[in-house]
Amino acid sequence: MSDPVRPRRRFVLPAAVAAVLAVLGIVLLVVALTGQQSPPRPSAGSAQQTSGSASAPSASAPSSSAQAAPPADPAPVQEDVPAPVALRIPTIDVDSDLVDLGLNDDGTVEVPPLSDVSQAGWYDGSPRPGATGPALLLGHVDSAEQGPGVFFDLGALSAGDEVDVTRADGTVAVFSVQRVASYPKAQFPTIDVYGNTPGPELRLITCGGAFDSSVRSYEDNIVVYATMSGTRDS
Amino acid sequence: MRKALFAPAVAIAAAAFPLLTMTAASAADQTSYQADLGSTNDSGVTGTAMVTLDGDQATVQIEASGLLPGSPHAQHIHIGGAGTCPTPANDKDGDGFVSVTEAAANYGAIAVSLTTSGDSGPDSGLAIDRFPADGTVTYNRTVTVSQDVATNLANGTAVVVLHGVDKDGDGAYGGSVMSDLDPSLPMEATAPAACGALQAAQMSSVPNGAADTGAGATAGVENSAMIGVGALALAGAGAAGAIAYRRRADSQA
Repeated sequence: MSDPVRPRRRFVLPAAVAAVLAVLGIVLLVVALTGQQSPPRPSAGSAQQTSGSASAPSASAPSSSAQAAPPADPAPVQEDVPAPVALRIPTIDVDSDLVDLGLNDDGTVEVPPLSDVSQAGWYDGSPRPGATGPALLLGHVDSAEQGPGVFFDLGALSAGDEVDVTRADGTVAVFSVQRVASYPKAQFPTIDVYGNTPGPELRLITCGGAFDSSVRSYEDNIVVYATMSGTRDS
Repeated sequence: MRKALFAPAVAIAAAAFPLLTMTAASAADQTSYQADLGSTNDSGVTGTAMVTLDGDQATVQIEASGLLPGSPHAQHIHIGGAGTCPTPANDKDGDGFVSVTEAAANYGAIAVSLTTSGDSGPDSGLAIDRFPADGTVTYNRTVTVSQDVATNLANGTAVVVLHGVDKDGDGAYGGSVMSDLDPSLPMEATAPAACGALQAAQMSSVPNGAADTGAGATAGVENSAMIGVGALALAGAGAAGAIAYRRRADSQA
């Protein structure tokens, strides 16, 4: 640049760069801002709860439904049930294998890695799906890098929808959705979601509600309650 | 000059990319217990208690309903008994109440006072100003417990007991029978209203609260990476434009 061959033309290259970058920046921003999407929330028809102060009737809802449709055989104990390996929810096109999840240092449950939000997981401190008790499956609703996650449409499920969990021996435990609820994270009803159940049940959990961008976290959890209706071979 | 212009653009782009969140691999070692609370003294009170023990820290959650509203309900973890709850047959003195004394062989002595604030030891067993006083209890507190409590939890001899029953149905604690624990109080104020032995929960280790299953692509700011690059490009355009303007001004001078 110290060689002033054509001094009156030195500003042309930076000006051209400026124009190209300006066009590129505007196009990117328009594409990014018009590509926003929102996960569905539980429909008004399903038993949506807006607070964690669960009353006795709502607390007993999954129990009574489980008693109404007991599995054909007595529920097997944890040791006799094979580990879960895959999850299918036909209604919302979920088809994922399952990773094992543990607890974080602070006692909260681990979530599948953000590096692959299409991955669902089973919390290994909960019963195996098909054993008596609440088996806990978790999936991301989305991530900033990858967009919608495996449980993006979880809030669109409604009573009667089928949830299939394939186990290590190839058998499939078939569950039926009882209700879908949404809880503020600060008022998460631990006993309702994690407490004992009369038979084999599932709890599918993802995030929902308003997004608090200051902590990059959703304010609610969406919880799907399902009870086992039977098993089948693969 | 160009570097100085470029720096803010880099900062804008960096801020637009979310921080990578690391998941801790080391797990908390905690064990959960649950008790189904049934009525004693015909109280009509039912509920559920859950205790998750991590070392000497016990997170206790209780949901119960059917209690006398507007009156304090002492609630404790009792240990050292048989890990059972009393029946009407426990009323040995025939005063119409199963008292705490008459139930002692079943559920033992107070080890933890499930107060709403302050001390949670046995000495606070009758601290009636620090217990829930509603008809419906929603309790959640983490308290420090002794090794004795941990041992009794593991052995199935830790029992959650809620006290206070309006036996005569007059809407307040009263009557002529006085408490075996404190002769200045009516028996109705201290008699057990609900009881349940804590047993290993089906979920062996209940997580602490909610799950963090969203990182915010579809709510709030979406496509943040693309927005970051776009912002960087616009900032670069501004920088290049400034250079062009300066050079043109220089050459015209």
